[in-house]
Amino acid sequence: MAVLPDVAVRSPVRSPLRVERSAGSVVALVTARKAARSGFPWGLIFGLAIVSSEISYVKVYTNAGQRDALAAAYGSNNAMSALFGPAPQLQTVGGFTAFKISMTLMILGAVWGLLTSTRLLRGEEDSGRWDLLLAGLTTRRRATALAIGGLGVGAITLWMTSAVITVLAGRSSDIRIAAGSSLYFALAMVATAVMFLAVGSVTSQLAATRRQAASIGAALLGVSYALRLIADAGVGFHGLIWVSPLGWVEELQPLTSPQPVALLPIVGFSALLAIGAVILAGRRDVGESVVPDRVHAPAHLRLLFGPTGLAIRMQRASVIGWWVSTSLSALLFGLIAKSAGTTLSGSSKEVFSKLGATGSGAPAVLGACFLILAVLVAFLAASQVTAARAEESEGRLDHMLIQPVARTSWLGGRLFATFVFLLVSAVAAAFFTWFGATSQHAEVSLTTLLGAGINLVPPAIVVAGFGVLVFGLRPRLTSISVYGLLGWSLLIVVVGGIGAINHWVLDTSVFHHMASAPAVPSNWKANGIMTVVGVTCALGGGYAFNRRDVQGD
Amino acid sequence: MPEMAIHAEGLTKRYGDSPALDDLDLEVPQGEVVGYLGPNGAGKTTTIRLLLGLSQPTRGRCRIFGLDCHHQTVEAHRRLAFVAGEASLWPSLTGAETLALLGRVHGRVDLAYRNELIDRFELDPTKKVRAYSKGNRQKVVLIAALMVRPDLLILDEPTSGLDPLMEQAFRRSIGEARDRGQTVFLSSHIMSEVEALCDRVGILRAGKLIEMGTLSEMRHLSALSVEATLEGPIPDLSAIPGVSSVEIVGHMVRCQLRGPIEPLLKVLTDTGVTQLVSREPSLEELFLALYGGDGSAP
Repeated sequence: MAVLPDVAVRSPVRSPLRVERSAGSVVALVTARKAARSGFPWGLIFGLAIVSSEISYVKVYTNAGQRDALAAAYGSNNAMSALFGPAPQLQTVGGFTAFKISMTLMILGAVWGLLTSTRLLRGEEDSGRWDLLLAGLTTRRRATALAIGGLGVGAITLWMTSAVITVLAGRSSDIRIAAGSSLYFALAMVATAVMFLAVGSVTSQLAATRRQAASIGAALLGVSYALRLIADAGVGFHGLIWVSPLGWVEELQPLTSPQPVALLPIVGFSALLAIGAVILAGRRDVGESVVPDRVHAPAHLRLLFGPTGLAIRMQRASVIGWWVSTSLSALLFGLIAKSAGTTLSGSSKEVFSKLGATGSGAPAVLGACFLILAVLVAFLAASQVTAARAEESEGRLDHMLIQPVARTSWLGGRLFATFVFLLVSAVAAAFFTWFGATSQHAEVSLTTLLGAGINLVPPAIVVAGFGVLVFGLRPRLTSISVYGLLGWSLLIVVVGGIGAINHWVLDTSVFHHMASAPAVPSNWKANGIMTVVGVTCALGGGYAFNRRDVQGD
Repeated sequence: MPEMAIHAEGLTKRYGDSPALDDLDLEVPQGEVVGYLGPNGAGKTTTIRLLLGLSQPTRGRCRIFGLDCHHQTVEAHRRLAFVAGEASLWPSLTGAETLALLGRVHGRVDLAYRNELIDRFELDPTKKVRAYSKGNRQKVVLIAALMVRPDLLILDEPTSGLDPLMEQAFRRSIGEARDRGQTVFLSSHIMSEVEALCDRVGILRAGKLIEMGTLSEMRHLSALSVEATLEGPIPDLSAIPGVSSVEIVGHMVRCQLRGPIEPLLKVLTDTGVTQLVSREPSLEELFLALYGGDGSAP
């Protein structure tokens, strides 16, 4: 209280400028802090994934013969190249690591960037918190520019964290990757995060809600992946690599033949989008969108019969979008299965089995591909639990629980809907895989694939059950816990697939307990145990939810 | 003896070490309109969330029409409706869809009355919730609560964001509810609203209910305001028992009086009174008297 009059008396002219600087810096600081908080753990995951891959390679492929066999299996396989990117130098630690982990980290980075920017820009605006910030002496453009700067701090945190781990590991005598190469690799892995932070900053101006903004960005990511896939499929369209943001990152060629010139389109694309976002922010009102939102709509009451119907109605668009993504991925896997399976013979078969695709031919390839589908299905489960928590934290749950609706029936209805979503997703994955594989005359029956599809559901039930348990006990930790489990499980299974991780650690991954169907028969005993674990966790979470306060953020 | 719409006994809620509500005993008979007052953080919303079963009590219990708020929640909620001051609704639904959803979930809706309320509150139900202003979102939750004709209406700052015309529409609706025998529990910062609508008022301070009664029962909490214009010079009033805050402007004197008025009247009439006005304290004055004039607990 004593400071303000003092400033006003001694510097009455400068004080408004001080206020403006303060209002603007608040936007930057708040955004930077939140982005950095998110970037740090993901940087750890990125760094550990890279290091684990390097260590695994050194431990498993101990001699030149094994490394040559690996290169022979993957080095010239167009189908694998289409899925995971080219594998030019599998005889080296760096070449293997770049092939093994790059595509996963590129996509994770893009998802992180998109979700972070839409959350901190459109999400903050939707919540009304931007109104408070913009009530200070700043402008929409200035605030947006500063917020984008804050997002940049998040990207730098992500890069620095993963870079430090990668550089330190590279100093090991077994790995021996130069510090410069490690830094460049970490930079490449964070490049998609930077680009999709920028994408999210533009879609946050275009769309009326955070969900719409994220959906537009996700569609761009899908198109980018598809263009890169076609470019790498060896069907004569390699030039398409230069129209895909993921392709630009691939062209950086870290740890193999570095090509820094590919940074130009990455930097240009990100800068243009950031500038575009700032310009668009100045051309619209706070809370509004550049693309006009439909204000009036006729009433559609069919699903609005109760809490469960409401949940289906509210999640409908994102769930259908997820089904389409899963189905298209499955179709793609089906299309390449036969071609990729032809390489699985002799030592190549042994090498491939270490990556999780046990068995032979197309089923072996599909065994590995179904792991990716399992992640997609489990992601759907995680998103449904976090959506339930969002209903509570944003105050909408109150409107349901003040009605004659028991907490258990509200939660149970949502979980039943989630189970149906998962089941449809799994069956669709099986059907579209079969459709793709059959079109290429691969010998995989629909019955086998339906079994493999159902096999995807138990890990997702564990993820959902764990999420509900946290939701019941510590609701504010729901999102970070459920996505943390998912990210951890994915990391462990990707890195540990080769077998260089302690089995106790492997057991912490929900995907590790899933049989690689259709490469091998489904393990129904393990599936039963996972289902029981998931349901028990959900029941425990429901019990705790019934006995706690309804809590906001 | 009327059935108790709300009955709380030793109701206590603590967040860690800090008490939000301390040993609340409260009874609201059926058909009564009760105001619930207190400054920010006094425990009003905590009380309401406990009554609604949204929060669990640390100690004590509460009942709605004899039904335990935490073990017979569904049955209790069939008989009540609630309006919060912050209406967080589903942004992609329209007003009509929101009302249909909440009506279906509650299970009973007076459709004719709902349509009348939509007209009365001038709500455009075809608009999406995210396109509504704060006031219009508030109208949606008000209509949703009133249209089910609940036995008990629990209202927490219900007119937040409403303009004066809509405030009048709200008062009319609550008047109708009272006439129909519905019970109303109204937490509000708008003293005139509470004064106009409520039969009894409860005042909360730092988690404790410090006063509960009708306005006339609570007059003792504040002084009588007396203003007199005299023919002659103003006598010294400070020696009269109960007189305070004496202000003199020319031949006019203002003061506050606690206790019997006769000694003051005698002094004034001896001087020669040309005009005398006395006024009982308003609810706002009562409230400020309890909170030391600045809203903080004394």
